[in-house]
Amino acid sequence: MTTPILRVSGLTKRFGGLTAVSDVSFDVHEGEIFAIIGPNGAGKTTTLNLVSGLLTPTGGSVTLDGADVTRLPTYERCHRGLGRAFQVVQPFPEMTVAENVLVGAQFGSRGVSGAEARRRAEAALERSGLAPLADAPVEDLNLLQEKRLEIARALATRPRVLLLDEVMAGLRPAEARAAVELVRSVRDEGVTIVFIEHVMPVVRDLADRVLVMDHGAELAHGSYAEVTADPRVVEAYLGAEEEA
Amino acid sequence: MDLSLLPQALVSGVLASGLYALVSVGLALAIGVIGIVNFAHGEFFMVGAFLAYQLFVSFGFDPLLSLLIVAPALAVIGGVIYLSTIRFVLKAPELNQMLLTFGVGIILQNLALVIWGGDPRSIANVPYRSIGYQLGGVSVGMVPLGSFVISVALVAALYWTLARTPLGRAMRAVAQNRVGAGLVGLEVNRVYLVAFALSALLAGMGGVMIAVIQSPTPTVGLAFTLKAFAIVVLAGLGNVRGIVGASLLVAVAESIVATMVPGGDALRNAVFFAIIFLVLIWRSRKVA
Repeated sequence: MTTPILRVSGLTKRFGGLTAVSDVSFDVHEGEIFAIIGPNGAGKTTTLNLVSGLLTPTGGSVTLDGADVTRLPTYERCHRGLGRAFQVVQPFPEMTVAENVLVGAQFGSRGVSGAEARRRAEAALERSGLAPLADAPVEDLNLLQEKRLEIARALATRPRVLLLDEVMAGLRPAEARAAVELVRSVRDEGVTIVFIEHVMPVVRDLADRVLVMDHGAELAHGSYAEVTADPRVVEAYLGAEEEA
Repeated sequence: MDLSLLPQALVSGVLASGLYALVSVGLALAIGVIGIVNFAHGEFFMVGAFLAYQLFVSFGFDPLLSLLIVAPALAVIGGVIYLSTIRFVLKAPELNQMLLTFGVGIILQNLALVIWGGDPRSIANVPYRSIGYQLGGVSVGMVPLGSFVISVALVAALYWTLARTPLGRAMRAVAQNRVGAGLVGLEVNRVYLVAFALSALLAGMGGVMIAVIQSPTPTVGLAFTLKAFAIVVLAGLGNVRGIVGASLLVAVAESIVATMVPGGDALRNAVFFAIIFLVLIWRSRKVA
């Protein structure tokens, strides 16, 4: 088996007395679509924050393409091919759509020329369906468009691994289907995807493998069919959801 | 009040506004991009003035030539101060940051007092200092005109840099969302360093010009720090055009009072801050 492009090993994060992420390990292979699911407060977003460098872990390690990136700052991880799109979108609010994406294209890798950055930004706008809105101010975008911008800006950094945090949340079914298609087409270009999602049909349609988290720890790990058949998952996650 | 003095007052005010705008955009850069309230900003201005003075006295350098030397010198001084002090308080409470920058300012000011003493110093012997033009009863000195043109050019260059260049986009991105900026590959700490160095550079170039316009002492900085703060507050952050407008407003008002009101010259600073107070009170009423 080849080296995984992303290896998370024994990852632990404590905030004072609270353990938000506890000894989580998983491997993601190049070209895979890997889902992290679990009830609210399970530690999914904290895990992604540890992988992308917004938080420093208390223990464990993150390895990107064989290199330990556990202590590297976010920009350095970005340069090494880790892209991130947020559940709560993080645009540059006073720029246009095109400028937002251009920042990603220009600074996402080292030594990108102005012309090359523009080319990359245009390509990212095109494939995320935002080209007609290139000159629009960010404040004019609706939720779907904001999420697309978030993905476009991450794509413009030319990631090898793209981390998506609930990018489908709040979307209507037709919009979510379009987003699923976008994610799949990004993968088909060779980008590895790690995503957090609550919408189970999306997970079923997209994920090659699924990690189920509960209370900060791994609950189950496997294909969608495997984890949804696991009685612990049904009880802790799906069961809890039905009650709610 | 002698209304015939009005055109002269207007012209003098407009010419003075360039320098205010130059010093203020530098301060706005530090506050807007780095989020640091820099009370030492006017001291960069002062250091620029005295470096130009020293270059003139020691080597006979024309202030125009000194601009080209003082600019990189102040960028380096700004960079060193950022790396040795500012970067350690980025996450500290604002009051701590202000105290630190205030202390840095006092150190710079006292260093200048040790080196140059407390007497006013001026670059008086440049040939163009005595040149002036008469246009329909309004006299325009070469020095105020030149400093206005240079200031406007520098402010315009900064505006263009912010709007059009990768460096400008990086600074705006960091100012608008530093988390997002880091995630798309921007080394935020380096952008801070560059912004602070650029801020000091702009102030220093203003200082070179004040050394020709006035006869500054090492305490000239504080007045410009306060005025720049007032202008930035008036204009709002991240708003080069607003800063230019606010500079025009206060500089012209200051000039009108100083020229046309008997004994008005002593009221310059009072007028300046009276306008700021009035606008702030008026603005807070609109909000309320």
